[in-house]
Parts: sequence; structure tokens; C-alpha cells
Amino acid sequence: MFSPNRRQLLQGLGAGLSLLTMPSFLVGCAKQGAPVASAQAPLGQNPFAQWFGVDEALIREVLTELGARGATAADLYLQHTRSNSISMEDGIVSAASSSIDQGAGLRVVIGDQTGFAFTEDLSRESLLAAARTAAGIASGAAVMPPQALNVSPEGKLYAIAVPWADVGITQKLPRLEYVEAKARGLDPNIEKVSIAWGDSEERVLIATLGGLIATDYRPMTRLWVNVTANKNGVRQSNASNVAGRHDFAWYTDERLDTVAKEAVDRTMRLFDAKRPPAGELPVILAAGASGILLHEAVGHGLEADFNRKKVSIYADMIGKSVAPDFVTIVDSAEEPFERGALNVDDEGNEGRRTTLIQNGVLQSYIHDSISARHYGVEPTGSGRRESFRFPPMPRMRCTFMEPGPHSKDEMIASVKKGIIAETFTNGQVQIGAGDFTFYIKNGWLIEDGKITAPIKDCNIIGNGPDALKRVTMAAADARLDTGGWTCGKNGQSVPVSQGLPTVLVSSLTVGGEDA
Amino acid sequence: MREELLKAAQEAVEISKSAGAQDAWAWASRSRSVEYSYRDGSLETVQESTSRGLSVQLYVDGRYSSQSTTDLRPDRLKAFIAEAVAMTRALEVDPFRKIPDSALFAGRAADTLDLVDSTVSTINHDRRLEIVQALDAATHGHEKVISATSGVNHSHDVSAGASSNGFTGSQESTSFWFGAEVTVQDAGDKRPEGYHWVGGRHVGGLPDVSAVGKEALDRTVTRMGSAKGPTQKATMIVENRAAGRILGMLMSTANARSIQQGRSFFQGKVGAELVSKKLSITDNPLLPRGLASRLYDGEGIAAKAMPVIEAGVVKNLYVDTYYGGKTGMAPTSGGASNRVVTPGQGDLAALMKAINNGVLVTEWLGGNADGTTGDFSLGVAGFEVKNGKLGAPIGEMNITGNLVTLFKGLTSLGGDVYPYGGILTPSLVFEGVQFSGA
Repeated sequence: MFSPNRRQLLQGLGAGLSLLTMPSFLVGCAKQGAPVASAQAPLGQNPFAQWFGVDEALIREVLTELGARGATAADLYLQHTRSNSISMEDGIVSAASSSIDQGAGLRVVIGDQTGFAFTEDLSRESLLAAARTAAGIASGAAVMPPQALNVSPEGKLYAIAVPWADVGITQKLPRLEYVEAKARGLDPNIEKVSIAWGDSEERVLIATLGGLIATDYRPMTRLWVNVTANKNGVRQSNASNVAGRHDFAWYTDERLDTVAKEAVDRTMRLFDAKRPPAGELPVILAAGASGILLHEAVGHGLEADFNRKKVSIYADMIGKSVAPDFVTIVDSAEEPFERGALNVDDEGNEGRRTTLIQNGVLQSYIHDSISARHYGVEPTGSGRRESFRFPPMPRMRCTFMEPGPHSKDEMIASVKKGIIAETFTNGQVQIGAGDFTFYIKNGWLIEDGKITAPIKDCNIIGNGPDALKRVTMAAADARLDTGGWTCGKNGQSVPVSQGLPTVLVSSLTVGGEDA
Repeated sequence: MREELLKAAQEAVEISKSAGAQDAWAWASRSRSVEYSYRDGSLETVQESTSRGLSVQLYVDGRYSSQSTTDLRPDRLKAFIAEAVAMTRALEVDPFRKIPDSALFAGRAADTLDLVDSTVSTINHDRRLEIVQALDAATHGHEKVISATSGVNHSHDVSAGASSNGFTGSQESTSFWFGAEVTVQDAGDKRPEGYHWVGGRHVGGLPDVSAVGKEALDRTVTRMGSAKGPTQKATMIVENRAAGRILGMLMSTANARSIQQGRSFFQGKVGAELVSKKLSITDNPLLPRGLASRLYDGEGIAAKAMPVIEAGVVKNLYVDTYYGGKTGMAPTSGGASNRVVTPGQGDLAALMKAINNGVLVTEWLGGNADGTTGDFSLGVAGFEVKNGKLGAPIGEMNITGNLVTLFKGLTSLGGDVYPYGGILTPSLVFEGVQFSGA
């Protein structure tokens, strides 16, 4: 029921694969040089405030309650999410679901202590009661609410032409039918194709004791294609998916063709695939989805909550050389339409691009406002929460490595016996010990510098800092993965993205059979 | 509260029918929870909340959809359901989308599950603080401790359901958990971590708080000096606390849905011997104080114990109404409750003595399994077993194989059933397991 100090990353695949700031009031945060206060329309006419049925007086009242017993920082997080899912099995679309999740999270921070409460009832009485509960952590003199509430301008990283609320189910059904027929037509051995479609739109309004009001409209969509094939009485199944903060028009025929083909190819390849040899081997990580390496081996260990508590293996490594000089690793909120994109984080801080490792040297942790204040640095815009039911934590957004100087061909040629990792289902890491894993669903065996056979179902385990030092080559073909990844930490799931150029790690422990 | 929620569910069914659904099902729930965490001498987070929600399943003109919302204002709820009914009409007709047969509601057991401890609601701030402080003291009893976070949490959940074909029911439960996680400084930059949590439906009957903190500390300290073991085939003991995960993987496709979708190695295996004769697993929803106990499942099907695997033979599968209809299997229940593994004898020390040499796995790290074929590969950490005794800590290793083959090689089970999970299993011993390491 409770998980240990580990983080995991999952890619939702179909059945058969079990998974997959308060800007404190000390920070005068004016975003992107936008005019504030006097130039703003009254908050009551703000579309987000209208959506939630709150006005300036109520927000001020709640903030007053949050600060009533003292606070280093405090915030009110209002959220409304509408999600839709549709599934298609055995050729018909016969199940759909919708959900509305609405509520408010209220938080009071004293140093590194947090009082938190939430309510699904947005009435004045409920909000004030929850604020009083959150303030229970404090026992000092009241902090006055802000004189002026400054509304940040809305960001444009994932502005979509047509909101999901305006896309009816009758528009979506033909897209599901199209991709299902496409997948079925690709191989005569296909027995089952199931499709899962999801779209959602989230509205948030964050009000801080520092007087900042930030709002964001966050669309998200995802399409899975699951395939089962039966060849001479043997069955194999696999899947592919695409995801992002996109709108309906993103689902072009070309994109659907690609995801259908990926799902079928990945399934059919399993019939010929074997398990790799067991033990320590060189591993080539294919461009794109292999960004899972960064997420597990590096990213979590650089989340600043683990470092301020000194429980991360990276706790004493800022400024130190941790990788070869061609390695630059970034965690960015600014990649347009990616799952990890954020105009504003869940503490109201502007989403930013954070260089974690520059030319092999560890530069920065990933901060929420508690850790930014602890280290005396600017927030990195990575304070995130699963929903209004949780307080924020430092979290990754879109984590990727910049292109390197080598080529994929020279990597393959350099490997006597090893593997290429191509598709993944999930990964996990122990923050302090530094051991991380990721699960390879499809890959290739390399023997004497040549690709010789497909491989499948193999867990890779390594140690973060060791693996970074063993990155011996990186190619120029950096790209972000198109699949939908969800990161779990302390019981909170958030959407993330990742990317990598083709990379060679000289040795990792490969879960295989027969050395 | 139970009556209030039942009324809300019944009203939602009525609204759905007025909006045009021929059949409907609704669940209403409310949950109160309090959680403290305490780190290195001070309170870190205090969380308190009361949560509520409503979900509705609609059967409209041979079509089906499910809905959920936390916006329970009457006008909003009516509009939400009306919109959902209209949306459902746009789906395709599916003859198998039928409301669960009311005959399955019959025979509900008397409520002797004992899932509610009224003293949970009396736990106050001082008591919570006392628990986390005792844990904090116990977890700091070693010079190498860098940081330890202790926690306590308790909750009270109530839910009620109603259907247009005569189902009504309400269930209530409490839970109370506490424990800690510890990080210690090892050689170099390594900071191994460990944890121990205990909990149950009742406050009573749990181990002493300080002993739990001490256990978390000991489990961490013993990880120090962990090194990669050799690549080899070896006998593996999986400690009771870790055994639930591998059993969960084995059983993850023991259901009609996976079989109907061609994604299960249980296909065609009902009545056949699939795994070692040593393995028997019963799904028992009626276990008093069980963490996964219930009187009825999500379709209202009256709960009863069901053997799933008996002496290695597959006896029953998890079958819900929809996939039961599609496969021609009679519905049992779509979801697992308490999965009870028939234990063997002896504690961990006895099992180690019996195998003499091998590997004791105490934790998993990542990994996965393919439910269609059973192929798996999992990260592991634990200890060497040498001459019948606990040896050096090992980690950064994988085990790889096939779940069916692995469980065919299940040679014995301990008598040490782990009580803090929905899978009640002792430690398990497997032979011929492929380890990948140095």
C-alpha cells in the first residue's frame, strides 16, 4: 500500500503488459515583462475566475485564512479537468467514459514544512474550512494577504485551435475506425486490434500569498493501438501509442498510419525475437524513446527535494564532472505541445528550460519553490502536482539529451556482443542507491559489429552515475519520443516527455537467458 | 452517511432513467483521510481531506458508457448525465453490454467482515505526533543515517451503490498505517534506502511502533556494501514481503478479458495443471478485516470465496458480465479481492537452511512481464544465501524467464504469511532461476 523511496515511469500499454511556489511573497515575480496590476481587467472578468465562480474578494479571503497563523508561502490551486475516453474492441466502439474532476488544493508552507488540505466543493465555506486545516501546520503571527493580485499573462505553448469540449464523439469515431482498419490490413495473422482514445482539458487557477494569479488551459490527448497476432497457434501482442497536448486536427491519416504500423511491426517482430544473453553488455539506446535512460538514471536523482534532504546519490555533485564532455542534458517545460510542456507550473511559476548537465558538468537540480528557497536559486518552474488533491513536488517535464558527435553506424560497428534497445514499457529508480532499470520490449542483438536478430522482454539495470560515465558515444539524431509517458513519484502521476539521440553505454546489466 | 450516499446513488439512477437510459447503475463515495510525515526531528507535511465522488454506468438503446464526477451540484449533475446519455447514443450497439444479471446479487453474506474500527476516528493530532516521533527516534539509531521520514495515515471510506434492476448496497471501512523510510550513507556516493510499513483495518493488533521503526532501519543498514552478484542459474527465495508482486504478475491475465483479447497464457488452461502442485491460491473476499474484503464486487455480484489455482491446476478465472458474455463463461467477479496463498512451513531462516545455497530476493526494481507469453525480466536486490545462512547483500541484478516455467519450479513455501497486503503470501522458493549480474 505504501511505496518505498523509489520512482517509476510507465508507458500505458494495453492489457498483457502490466504496465506501463509558491512563489513566495519574497519573490516579486513579474512574468515575461508583462504589464501587471493597473493594466489588468478586474479578476472577476477573468474567464478562469468565472469558470470557478471565484472573485477577487473570495481569493483574498482564502489567502487571509491561509496566512492567519503565519506562512513562508501559501497558495490556492483551483482545478477543473474534463476527460473522455473511448475504446474499440472486436471491430466496434462500444464503451466510452467521461469524467469531471473539480476541486481546490490549499497549502501553507513554513520553511520546509507543509500543511495541506483539499476540497471538491468550491463553496466559500468549504474553501475557508480547508484553508484553516492547511494553516494548522503553523502557529505564528498572521501574514497579511497581498495588496494587489497580479494576473500573469496566459502562455502559448499548447494553444489549440478547437478545444476538446467542442469535439463530439461522432467526430472521433471515424478516426478510431480508420486506425483499426489500417492495423488489421497490415498483416494476415492479426487476430485482435483494440484501440483506446483519450482526450482531456484541464483548467487551473493558482493564487499565491505573494499576490500572483496564474492561469493555464492544458489540453492532452493520447491514442493507443494494441495488437494480438496468431501465427501457427502461437500468440504475441504488443502496442504503440502517440500523445501530446494537441487538438483533434493533429490526428492526421499519416499519424494514424504510423502508429498502426508501429503496433503491428512491434508485434510481428516478437515471433522471431529471442532473449538476449544474460550479464554485462554494451547497450545502444535508439534515438527517441530511450530518453527513459535520462529519466531514470539522472532526472529523478536531480529532483531537488531528494537533494535538500541529502538522500540522492547526486546530493554532493553540483559543479562536478559526471559525464563525458559531449553530454548535455536538459529538462524543459518549453517544448511546444509535448506532454511535459507547461506554460506555468503548479505553483504559478513560469515554465522554463533547465540545463541539468552542460558538457558533462552537473549544473542544476530540478526545483520546486521550497527547494529553490532552500538553495537560494530562482525556481525552475518544475513544481508539479497530479491534481488539486496533492501538494506540489519537483518533477521532470520534458527531459532530453542534446545531439552528440558520433554516428549510429560507428556505434554498431564498435560492439562485439551487445544489444540495441528500441521500445520500452517502464522504468524505475532508487534515488539513494542510484540503481535504475528500464524494460525493453523490442530490440536487436549485435554480434561482431552487425545486427543479427530481434530480441524482446529484457530488463536493464544499472547505476545512474556509473552509467553516465559509461556513455561513450552520442549521435546527431536527437529526437523526442512521440509516446505518452507518465511519471510516478510518491503516489503522484504526472505526464512527462523524453528524448535522446542514439547513445552507446559501454556496459549495463542485461536481463537475459544463458550467458 | 451510508444512507445519505445510497440516496445519492438512487437519485443518480433516477436522473439517468429520466434522461433516457433504460438501465443505470450509480456509486457514491466519501473518504476522509489524514496523513502526517515527519522527517529528522520535525513535522514535514500534514494533510487532511474529505473527498467525495459519484460514478454512473449507463445502458442506453443497447449501448454503454460510464461517467464520473466530483461536481455534485444538482443542476450540474443533471446536465452532466443528460449530456452523457446523448453521447452514449452515438456509440455502437453491442449485445454484450448488459446490466449485470440481478440473480448474481442474491446470496450476499452477512456483514461480519469487521472492516470498521470506530477508534480510528478518535486518533488525534497528539496521537499521530506520538507515533511519528517514536518512529523517528527508532529510525535514527545508527550513525550512518542521513535522513529518515516517518509517517502515519488513517482513513475512513464509505460507498454505496444502486442499480435500476434492484441492486442496493453500502460498504464502510477504516484503515490505519504507519511506517518509515530510511537512507544511510554507504561507501562513496551511495545512499541505500529501505522502508517498513504496517497497517490494517483496525488500530489494534499491529506491531509496536518503535519495532517498526527499528525494522525500517535494520532493513536499510543491511543494504550497505551491496554489490552485484554473479550471472548464474540459482535457487531463489522470494521473501514474503516481495512475493506479492510476482504472484500478482502470474495472475494478471487470469481473467476473461485478457483471454477474449488473446492476451493470456491462461487461455484453454481451466482444469489443466499450469504450475507446481505446491501452489494453491484462493480469492477470498470474505476474510475478516481483510485489506481487499468486500460483500459484493463492482458489478454487485455477491462475494464468495473462489479457488483460482488448486495444487497447480487452474480452477476458476476472474470473469465479469461483459467478457463472460463474449467468452460464454459464467461471471464470477471481474476483479480480485484478497488472494490467499496456501502456506507451507517454516520461517525465512528455515527456508535458507533448506536450500543451503542460493539467492534471497527481498525487493524488486522495475521490470515487467508479457501477459500473452508469460515472458518476464525483473530487477532484484537481496542477499546471497551461503551454507544455509544469510550472506552478503547483492543488487543491480535481473532475473529473467517465463512466469509459467518459474512457477513450475516452485519447490516450497514458507509458513510466514505477510499480512500487510491484498495478496496474502508466505516466502516462496523457486529452483533454476536465471540471474544476470556481473
